[in-house]
Amino acid sequence: MVGVLLWRRSGSGTRTFPPGHVLCPRGFSSGCVLRTDASQPDRGDKIDLDLWKSVMKSQMDESPAGDGDGEGAKGPDSPDGCVLAATRELVSMWRQAGKLVPDKITEEEVQTLAELSTKSGKKKYLKYLAIREGHKKKDREKREKRRSEKEERFVESDRPPLKNSFLVQYRDHWLDRLLGWRGVQAMQFGQPLVYDMSYEQHMTPYELANSVSQMMEVEGTNRRARDPFHLHLCNLQPDSGQRRQLVRRYGADAWDRLLVTETPRRHVDLFPRERLVYLTADSPHVLRAFDPDAVYVVGALVDRSVQTGLSFANAKRLQLATARLPLDRFLRWETGAKTLTLDQMVRILLAIKDTGSWEQALDFVPKRKHDGFYAGRDRGDGGPGRDRGDRGPGRDRGDGGPGRDRGDRDPGRDRGDRDPGRDRGDRDPGRDRGSDRRGPAWGDQGFTKSFGSSESGRGGQDRGGPGRGVGWAGVSEYKLPVARIRPTPKGRTEDSRRTDKTRKPWYEQD
Amino acid sequence: MGPTLLFKARLCLKVICARTMCTKGMRPGERKSSHRQTKTDKTIRQSDRQTDSFTARRVPSFPASVFAAGTAKRTTEMLKRKTALSSLEQEDEAEDQPRRRGGFKTGGMCYLRGSYRLVAPERPLSPTEWKKLKETACDPERFDVQMMTLLLKSGAELDIAKSLLTFVALDTGTMSYHLLLQYLTLCVKGGHDAEVLDIYQIMRRAFPTLDTGASTLFIKTFSRTPSWREALHILRDMKKVISPSPRNYSDIIGGALLHGDAATAWQLYDEIIEEGMSPLPDTWQALFEGRAKGNGGETGNMSQADYGKRLLGALGYMRDNQVYPQQRLADTIKTSFQSLPGHKWSGEWTTVTPKGVCKCCGSELESIQLTQEEYQRLKDRVMADIIQGKDVFNKTTPEELESFKAFVKRKPLFDVVVDGLNVANIAKGRQSEMLLAVLCELEQLGLTALVLGRKHMLQPSRAWDRHNMGLIQKKAHCFFTENTSEDDPFLLYATLHSGNHCRFLSRDLMRDHKACLPDALTRRLFFKWQRGHQLVIHGIVQLGRRVRFQMIPPYDTIIQSSGGSWHIPYDDSVDRSSYEVPQRWLCLTNKH
Repeated sequence: MVGVLLWRRSGSGTRTFPPGHVLCPRGFSSGCVLRTDASQPDRGDKIDLDLWKSVMKSQMDESPAGDGDGEGAKGPDSPDGCVLAATRELVSMWRQAGKLVPDKITEEEVQTLAELSTKSGKKKYLKYLAIREGHKKKDREKREKRRSEKEERFVESDRPPLKNSFLVQYRDHWLDRLLGWRGVQAMQFGQPLVYDMSYEQHMTPYELANSVSQMMEVEGTNRRARDPFHLHLCNLQPDSGQRRQLVRRYGADAWDRLLVTETPRRHVDLFPRERLVYLTADSPHVLRAFDPDAVYVVGALVDRSVQTGLSFANAKRLQLATARLPLDRFLRWETGAKTLTLDQMVRILLAIKDTGSWEQALDFVPKRKHDGFYAGRDRGDGGPGRDRGDRGPGRDRGDGGPGRDRGDRDPGRDRGDRDPGRDRGDRDPGRDRGSDRRGPAWGDQGFTKSFGSSESGRGGQDRGGPGRGVGWAGVSEYKLPVARIRPTPKGRTEDSRRTDKTRKPWYEQD
Repeated sequence: MGPTLLFKARLCLKVICARTMCTKGMRPGERKSSHRQTKTDKTIRQSDRQTDSFTARRVPSFPASVFAAGTAKRTTEMLKRKTALSSLEQEDEAEDQPRRRGGFKTGGMCYLRGSYRLVAPERPLSPTEWKKLKETACDPERFDVQMMTLLLKSGAELDIAKSLLTFVALDTGTMSYHLLLQYLTLCVKGGHDAEVLDIYQIMRRAFPTLDTGASTLFIKTFSRTPSWREALHILRDMKKVISPSPRNYSDIIGGALLHGDAATAWQLYDEIIEEGMSPLPDTWQALFEGRAKGNGGETGNMSQADYGKRLLGALGYMRDNQVYPQQRLADTIKTSFQSLPGHKWSGEWTTVTPKGVCKCCGSELESIQLTQEEYQRLKDRVMADIIQGKDVFNKTTPEELESFKAFVKRKPLFDVVVDGLNVANIAKGRQSEMLLAVLCELEQLGLTALVLGRKHMLQPSRAWDRHNMGLIQKKAHCFFTENTSEDDPFLLYATLHSGNHCRFLSRDLMRDHKACLPDALTRRLFFKWQRGHQLVIHGIVQLGRRVRFQMIPPYDTIIQSSGGSWHIPYDDSVDRSSYEVPQRWLCLTNKH
């Protein structure tokens, strides 16, 4: 019976050998032999255990193509090509052996792979490629799904129903304009914050890529801040890998338009030495209060295995003042290095600049690293930053409880439900945006509502003061377009605007 | 009357004890004079270990060194026991928890796995039975591989796996590489060599190449069989893409020796060394066994004399790379030496006296002191790699380094350099007192001491008493680095620059500084120097009482030979940390 099955299968044999996962079925010319073999189990209830060997062998007898293909794939006789071909074959064999290996591998990747000297190195690189391939695939699927959904939606409701409303429709580009305005202001009058990009030679390629991602995060966070820093990327050499990656990932246009200062010069050449304060975890001095006149320098170094004293050595060489964050004073730090990512640093600095409260600033330290704040500490001992507290607690991240900040006033602040017909003009749009999950909120200046004791514990403090300071200038500017623009249905307009503008809106980046 | 007498006697005993412990009956005056004399003539001091001021203090009751094998493990266990006692209740709770969790876990797994979980059959099944089983499986696509994994895990009989393969071959007409690879693993695990040869034929013809896993398995099996030369071909194929592992080499070397091809075995051994890999203990085991087996002069295609020379070369490699054999290998080495025809080697397991004399043959072991050349090399490397490194600002500043160099030049040569903070931090809160107690002891011994610290120590506080710090600065030369600088590199610099007699006092094992050295040879030199020059405080430190130090062994723990004898330190347990040295020796003597 089995023989019959085999015989039938033999007709459908195709010859694609060997790259497949499974050897493709091919015809058995020795079908009669097989039939007798196969009939054994039926006859005597005794199973022929070595039958599989004859099956495999017969297959090979029929076509010794296996070896032929292999020889053919080795290609040119030059030793270099030979190594590459052998590497490629190894990859394919590993793939067949069920190892974590990408499905497709480019010529460059094979070259890199062949250059790696150890087996574990090769395996790790392939694993990395495979995981990356998986991510890319998933992203592509997601994107396609989203696109098809969108198309469906437009087919369903070709034109969203017009609705008369006295409320102003909110537009994305208003926000871009506002943020741009703020960025320009920061570049003119804002406090400089320097990222020292001179650590490229101390980083591995992975770390370098991470540092670039983190720098993009830094820029994004700073751009969205209520009172941004004037970001300086110092020591950024034009031909450095860091800069090349930054330009590639932003796109040359966006990079040119970015409201940051990049320079190959050193920070000591740009600013007076006495204003510079190098922030490094190895510093003996603890930063007690944020100084609005100082120029803080952060080393753009990602070190997966901690390289102690690297940035501190630089500060020592240039004889700069140094400081470290008061992590030990506020956080119950158990073990582990007190290193933070670059974007965490900018968040902490923005928060301390805004609020003067270390509790709120150090909220951005990852929770897994510490065991909570010290209880019963004198709150608000952040020094001079304290009088800035009237800016309200709105810079909390949006994950606060319901009693927190303005969360109780804004039921629709979840960015996910921005359906086209939705009317969002019922309040100051900036405030709406500001309480988004990313970054500090903004736009609540002049808002003098007094809270009871809120969860943040500072609710009643220093509230009620009128908005003031340079950082607020953007507000009036920002309110103007609100008054000028009439409510219009959103759907198509927004879509068309998005298509003709290549740059994605800020909340869709990263 | 009685009790008072007893008490007095005890006191006397104590005094005697203290004396023997610390100066071995010498009066301080004597020590000082002998010390002064040695100081005037350094070369004599260095060459003659007996007059060494520290050697004289050693009696057998002295505690073992921090570098003795197993010390780290014992310390950890002691600390664990201490913490365990303090948190006995917590442990009880913890013991309860896993039991509960375990029960839940298995239950959860059963539940999560869904309706059906694969179970390996107990006997070979016919294709129809397999088909039925496959139909019930939740993932029929990967049924074969999953089932084979299961068989592999449970160590099932080969026949069951064969029946599965037969089913797959009949069902699909072919077999995936993955499935064959797993079947191969099962065969190699079970030692079915004939079957492996069959699979090799099939896989070689069905697939263009083999992956590393299959190659390793084939090499392993072929080495056991008469057709071991096929393993060489596989190895050659492997070399095209990656460098084979020492395990692969080890397998083939074993195979070559088994089949009497010593020349190939040694050629492969040379290849391992050339590749910069370290041979596995099994490789040496096989090589030494090769001679032991070839007793009557039959070492295959290699003469007995050549083979012996190669073995001595292997021992030399182990010496140069500070490799210590395990008990099993040491045993083989012993038999191999004893079975040498024409010689009368006798091997004994032994230990060494604290003075470095073999308890078995009574010969003296090599000195731990470095030669002049080695010392100079170490000195240069420490300066270049540990203190300056890639960036001198990492550990200090150039100005500070210069001022320290000038300081060392200005001062007389030191006998002991004290890591101030390390010594002081024995007791938290009374740091200066600890440091003072140690310095008092050093002063009594008549040693010129240098204390290295950081500037914050000069700021009067409860821990750093102003009065104590004043006394310390009177008793010893002091250098305080910036608070942001590291003091250990300065310690090493000062010790190395004061000459070979100078020791340093610290509990720090200096592993991070050792790691800064670029090449293995210098690291080994550093370690040797460290073992011969690091003083470690033993026991309790109290102001007004004698301070004891751990002994520094005067001999080097390394494979060594002198004339008609070999001394080989070996590991009798696996508890040795990388920075420790074994305490047990194999003594091989040639009696003519």
